[in-house]
Amino acid sequence: MAKKSSGMTDLAKAEERLAYWLLIPTFFIIVAIAFYPLGSVFVNSFTNKIFASETPTEFVGLENYKNLVSVTIRKLPPIIDQSTGQQALDPDTGEPQYERAINVLPREPARYRELTQFNLFGNRYVMGAVDRDFVRSVWDTVLFTVATVVLELILGMGIALVINSFPGTSVARAAIMAVMLVPWAIPTAVSSRMWQWMFGSTRTGFFNVVFQILGIGNGQIAFLTDERYQLPVMIIIDVWKTTPFMALLILAGLGLISRDIYEAADVDGASKFRQFVSMTLPLLRPTLAVALIFRTLDALRVFDVFQIVLAQSRYSMASYTYYQLIGARAMGYSSASSVLIFLLIFVFAMAYIRFLGVEAD
Amino acid sequence: MDTRSVLKRIGFWFLYALIVVWMLFPFYWAVNSSLKNEAQLQMTPATFVPRDPVSNAFSATLQNYGAVFQNESFVRGLLNSAIVAVSTTVLALMIGAFAAFALGKLRFRGKTPSLYLILAMTMFPQVAVLSGLYAMITFLGISARPSMIVTYMLFTLPFTVWVLTSFFKGLPTEIMQSAEVDGATAFQTFYLILLPLTMPALVTTGLLAFIAAWNEYLFALTFTSIEPTARTVPVAIALFTGEIARQEPFGEIMAAGIVVSIPLVILVLIFQQRIISGLTAGAVKG
Repeated sequence: MAKKSSGMTDLAKAEERLAYWLLIPTFFIIVAIAFYPLGSVFVNSFTNKIFASETPTEFVGLENYKNLVSVTIRKLPPIIDQSTGQQALDPDTGEPQYERAINVLPREPARYRELTQFNLFGNRYVMGAVDRDFVRSVWDTVLFTVATVVLELILGMGIALVINSFPGTSVARAAIMAVMLVPWAIPTAVSSRMWQWMFGSTRTGFFNVVFQILGIGNGQIAFLTDERYQLPVMIIIDVWKTTPFMALLILAGLGLISRDIYEAADVDGASKFRQFVSMTLPLLRPTLAVALIFRTLDALRVFDVFQIVLAQSRYSMASYTYYQLIGARAMGYSSASSVLIFLLIFVFAMAYIRFLGVEAD
Repeated sequence: MDTRSVLKRIGFWFLYALIVVWMLFPFYWAVNSSLKNEAQLQMTPATFVPRDPVSNAFSATLQNYGAVFQNESFVRGLLNSAIVAVSTTVLALMIGAFAAFALGKLRFRGKTPSLYLILAMTMFPQVAVLSGLYAMITFLGISARPSMIVTYMLFTLPFTVWVLTSFFKGLPTEIMQSAEVDGATAFQTFYLILLPLTMPALVTTGLLAFIAAWNEYLFALTFTSIEPTARTVPVAIALFTGEIARQEPFGEIMAAGIVVSIPLVILVLIFQQRIISGLTAGAVKG
């Protein structure tokens, strides 16, 4: 074939030209549906654009971003009881009383709303944010991501090891692989609805029935509206749906490890646990790292389950962006939140690509 | 066998059963609920099989299934989903196969950056371009179905190119060389010789692209917000309003969910091996 050293031959030139022609459709589509809209999202994020509105669009600089990420922490002064000179206590609970957060949080230039309160070194602090829903959605999404990825990794590893103990040709193995593909294959919209029904707030819901039989709760646990349970429920649903995928990846990784080394380790008298820690885990490291990053990127953009089950009672970053766009028609503002999600995911994706590497030839 | 290994076997089978129950129970519960009528759905505690509220005898009904097939928006959703998912899959395979052939078998300057770009695109978050695409579609006045078909290539095309490229790379170069000696152009080689050889990979990536498009929710929900007749099945199920019940009609929703899942379950059973190899191809270097 063509040699590059003495300039390109006609054949090589023709080959190169053909390659470019073949790539044009793909790159055209990528530009049209990814780069161009990404650029317009970026530009819009600096405006106050409202979709389908008569209000003229104005350039507002970093205003949207400032609103989204503004967070402040203020110390709450204790309320002093005038008669005793001591901090006042709540007459009912005996808890020490502090100034109300609303009086402490700044109102200018933008109004800060209370996110949470916490104690540190004997003082009480309040954390406030201009856009409480967005800051909470970031926090919830990150918590969701960490929890689901860790749980899926542990459970996926366990499942992969169980399946791997069955011979590759056995019917049992083929059957369970098929079973595991089912949660992965069906639409998240469908599985979200199934779990939503099972988590019903009365004893028409499966979990309330079971918990009552076990003596937990009164059969009226509001899994989907009580703030304490909302995030755990999201995590349970996602873990159910995605653990199989994780298990399949790990199983594929296990398949690459030669069985001979285990026989050798058996001969040397190494225990199964020792074999797992010193052989299986290190050899699985590339697979695990890739699976981890895959899942992390996926979990950070979670949308379906939050939007369907929790709607506007609690947001993920993506569902917040969606409601800003479609609910509030705040195109500029939702673009800014899109850009923040993109940057977050971009950082992870770059790490992933560096790890996986690309071989051109 | 000694007692220890017998116990171990029992332990493994127990775990095996546990995994199967965990994976399938939500489906069982959905089937169970879909066979109940309104009164049975409201029974407390909920029953593990459909039972008559009075006599407590087993009593199942298919009325929910009848209702979902009379539900216009659901039936239309099935049709819309089929059109959108098939079209986007076919387009992604055609366009993707061209690009993958170039990236996998031809020599040209700029190959490595192209591969990096494709790999980066496989992880591109849809939500990042949501408002941009929505504005573009409204501005150009494209209706929802073609919009979905084109924009779904955001996640089907890069993946298709990536997997097919590695497949093309694996094909022996001698095939191309001998075809060239016989006077075939590179494109003829691709079209007449390599493409038929890639059939298995095309089937695998096609399946995965189809499933991803069939299940997509964010774009479908956004782009059909002003065009309800174009809603796909996931959107129809998420926004389901019933024919029979006044409250949220979970009996019908479960029936609709089962109906939508059946084709996917059949695909999974038939193409199990292919799907698994396609899923893991992108992640595990073997």
